[in-house]
Amino acid sequence: MKRIAPIDIAGGILVVAFLALLPMFAASNYLTGVLTVCVIYGIWASSWDFMSGLTGRENFGHSLFIGAGAYTAGFLSSIWSANPWISLPLGVVIAIAFSLLVGFPTLRLRGPYFALAMLSASAILQRLCLIFWEYTGGEEGIYGLDPLMKNPLHYYWFVLAILAVTVIALTLLAQSHWGLLLRAIRGDEATCQAAGINVTFYKIVSLMISAGFAGLGGALYAHYQLQVSPPLFSVVVSITVIIMVYVGGIGSIYGAAVAAILLTLLTEMLRGFGEYRLWIYTLTLMLILFFLPNGLIAPLWRRLTERLR
Amino acid sequence: MLQILIYGAVSSAIYAMLAVGFTLIFGVARILNLAHGSFYALGAYAAYVLTSLLGVPLFIAAPLAVLIVAGFGVVMERFLVRPLRSSQLAVLMITLAVSLAVEQALFITFGSEYRNVPSFVADKLSIGGVDISGQRLLALVAGVLVLLGLWLFIQRTRLGAAILAVSQDPEAAQYMGIPTNRIFSIVMAISAGTAALAGVLVSPFLTVQPTMGLLPMVKAFAIVIVGGLGSIPGSIIASLILGYSETIVAYLISTSWTELVSLVAVVVTLMIRPSGLLGRRAAF
Repeated sequence: MKRIAPIDIAGGILVVAFLALLPMFAASNYLTGVLTVCVIYGIWASSWDFMSGLTGRENFGHSLFIGAGAYTAGFLSSIWSANPWISLPLGVVIAIAFSLLVGFPTLRLRGPYFALAMLSASAILQRLCLIFWEYTGGEEGIYGLDPLMKNPLHYYWFVLAILAVTVIALTLLAQSHWGLLLRAIRGDEATCQAAGINVTFYKIVSLMISAGFAGLGGALYAHYQLQVSPPLFSVVVSITVIIMVYVGGIGSIYGAAVAAILLTLLTEMLRGFGEYRLWIYTLTLMLILFFLPNGLIAPLWRRLTERLR
Repeated sequence: MLQILIYGAVSSAIYAMLAVGFTLIFGVARILNLAHGSFYALGAYAAYVLTSLLGVPLFIAAPLAVLIVAGFGVVMERFLVRPLRSSQLAVLMITLAVSLAVEQALFITFGSEYRNVPSFVADKLSIGGVDISGQRLLALVAGVLVLLGLWLFIQRTRLGAAILAVSQDPEAAQYMGIPTNRIFSIVMAISAGTAALAGVLVSPFLTVQPTMGLLPMVKAFAIVIVGGLGSIPGSIIASLILGYSETIVAYLISTSWTELVSLVAVVVTLMIRPSGLLGRRAAF
């Protein structure tokens, strides 16, 4: 097992400390709110990166898991008025159930089936939310969730701690024997199979892990917004997450989290552009595909710290 | 009963026009085109702009709209997809980016409200006591003609033979002197053109709005998976199966449940016969 380099640990601690202290300098609930969303995107992006970045099976419907976690929280907290803390574990469980539903039939296969099926499944679930509006609230979604914590700053710290745990756990997994196998699957699936590795098993379990963290992020998001609505399932959410991972450097996990935070902040600053925001995103993606195929954050960090390793 | 038969045929024809183009460009160029739905939307909007805003007569506007979108498809393939073709993931990403860009562009230019396109044929026809608008019937007839034409083109012409050759083995085809890249462009034009034609034909009786391309594209995925990726006859058969089962579900249960049909069809296909009805084993 490869150790995480001390410089990476130092960098991580520095970033987390900086993020934790950031709202203290400018004591405004607005900034705390924006940062909470940034950090939640970080959870989504790093969870996408774990499965798709390592195995190379691109998931075009991560919003399916995000939405599943969020709607679970919505139903539990608002409609069945359950204790909000139950949402988190159950959001994870439901998201994992969805990952099995889509992953089991599609991940056995090579080729683009998984990508297509995920994209379709998230689009269809969004439609179903609108069609069965009596239960899901339709366009409006579900309102009136209970917050997990009264103080938004405490909630931000809580979410930040979860992001840190997510990134550490996924990085350790990615650097373990397990992660090595996933990378091997990306390299050559047939050879792995020939070497007696149960390729399908590893792919499905890594999707379950990825979905679980995404569902957790979804539930956290729902308890921050205190409402859930169908756009959570939209392709736009999935593509936003994928762009973040691309900017971060695919397969690096920490890069995805940092890029997610930076890009969400950037989006917030671009709020004035309104409708053009997604355009800017799409353009970023195209430029990165053509000019920075390895991403920005992770390669930059590696170059900066090269001498210290 | 007859109603199911006729309406099912109409939706099958539209699905087939969408799915055939999608499967063709995958089968020939191995491009999984996530922007396929935007061709459909662009076709409908082009028809809207030409007829409602510029006042071009319908029977000129329709072919013009198809040509414009086919041109867009060729440009997209040449400048955005081709440089990234070595990586399947990059192709998926760039086509998805194009589809989002198109959706946003339509949204910014036209807003999210529904747009109306005048009917090509105003008359209503009655077949065996079933009323059907001439427009739907036109979509059916046009769909059948296009598919027939495409089949003849691929089976009977030199260019068609070249397309088949490239789909079987691009490298060998290249050695035989077939200009593979030009074939890709031609296939992209056909693929974008048929999708646009479907969009033009449905524009009078379905809602024209920026996100209209997503769901038909999801349907096209479903059909192509059920029929077998890269197989044209397979996608036609699958279009018939899906078109009819959706119509039957709509009549017997409710229109709300039709969305589930394609999802169930995909899951069942992938579980039982992953290569699809007529797919190649290589799809495994």
